[in-house]
Amino acid sequence: MRLARIVVAMCAVLLLVAPAAAQSAAPPDLSGFWINQYTPNLADVLGKQPPFTEFGAERWRTVDTAKDPTAICLPVGPSRGFTAPFPFLLVQHDKTISIMFEYQAIWRAIYMDGRAHPDDLADYPYFMGHSIGRWEGDTLVVDTQGIDERSWLDTAGHEHSDKLKLTERFKKTGPDTIQWTVTYEDPVYFTRPWSIERTFTRGKPGDRVLPYTCNENNKDVEHLRPHQPNLNYKHVPEPPPAKKPGGR
Amino acid sequence: MKRGIAALLMTIAVVSSGLSVRAHHSFAAQYDRDKPITLKGGITRIEWANPHIYFYIDVAEAGGAAAHWAIEGGAPSTLYRAGWRKDSAKVGDVVTVEGFLARDGSKLVNMQRALLADGRNLFVGNQSYYQKGR
Repeated sequence: MRLARIVVAMCAVLLLVAPAAAQSAAPPDLSGFWINQYTPNLADVLGKQPPFTEFGAERWRTVDTAKDPTAICLPVGPSRGFTAPFPFLLVQHDKTISIMFEYQAIWRAIYMDGRAHPDDLADYPYFMGHSIGRWEGDTLVVDTQGIDERSWLDTAGHEHSDKLKLTERFKKTGPDTIQWTVTYEDPVYFTRPWSIERTFTRGKPGDRVLPYTCNENNKDVEHLRPHQPNLNYKHVPEPPPAKKPGGR
Repeated sequence: MKRGIAALLMTIAVVSSGLSVRAHHSFAAQYDRDKPITLKGGITRIEWANPHIYFYIDVAEAGGAAAHWAIEGGAPSTLYRAGWRKDSAKVGDVVTVEGFLARDGSKLVNMQRALLADGRNLFVGNQSYYQKGR
C-alpha cells in the first residue's frame, strides 16, 4: 500500500515536470555561415508557374527583366536574399536572430520577443520586410510582412504587391544543413498560398562575408535593354478546389 | 551553319558555366545569346569590383589600329572562392576571350572563357563554391 502511494506520487511529479522540461528544451542553434541553393526562377522549383491571379499573370507575361530592381542596386528582398548565389551569416540570440547577407551587404532582423507587426507597417515598408519569429518545436517559423513592392521574388521577374506575406520555416536536418521552406501569400498576384523548399549548406570553416558594394562599379545598368521573355505566356487559371462531400 | 553550332555550344556554356550565375539581373537583358564572339588581345586594365569584374583588352584590327573592348566577368566574391585573386592576371597579359556580345551594340562582351597563354581559364568561377584556383 505504501509502495503504491510512492509510485502514484512519483507519477504525479513526472506529469508536472515533463511538460515544463519539454518547453524549456533549448532550440537548435542555427548560427553559422550558410550557402544558398541558387534559384534564379522559383517556377523551376515549383515545376510550373505560381497560381497567378489574372493581374499576376499579365504582370508575368509583360515583365521587362531590364527593370530588375537589383540591377540598379536596390535591396534584394527576403525571397532573393535566400535564393541568390551568395552566402549569409546567421547569428542567433534569444530575442533576435540576425541574418547578414553577402549579396548587397544587407541584413534581416527576426524579432523573437513575442512582439506583433507594428500597426503602421504598411506606411513604412522595407525592402527586406519586418520579421517576427517563434519556435515550433525544433523549427524556427518566421512571419514577414511590410515588404516593399518594388522588390522581386527572383531574377526571372516574379513580382509581388505590398500585400505579400512570407512564412518561412527553418529546420536543421543535420549539423551542416538547414531545410528552408517558404510560403508566398499575396492575394493581388496569387490565388492561393504556394511554397518551395531549399537547403542551406554550411560554408567552409574560416570563410567570411566578402565585399559586395553594389554601386562601386555598376556599369551594367547603362547597357541594359528592354527584354520581355514571357510575351507568349498563356495564363490557364487553376480549376476551383473540389467541394467536399456534404459541404455547402 | 557553323555560326549556329557555335551559338549552340556557347549557349550550352552559358547554362553550364558559373559565369551564367547572375543574381544581379537577367543575362538576356544585357547580352545576346545568338551573338557569340571570340577576341584576342592584351589586357590594359582590370577592375576587380562589384557587382561584376570588368577587364579591358586591345584587339588588333586591320591597318594596325587597336579596338578597345570591355569584358565582363563574375562577382568578385564568387571568383575569390573559386581561387582567383585580383592579381591572378596582369596588365599586358594576352588573353583569348570567348563570350557573347552586348545587345546595345557597344564593344562589350560577357565572358564565358578567357584563356591565358599558359592555358589557365582566367576568372571563371561557378556556383559550386570553393573550387581550387587554376
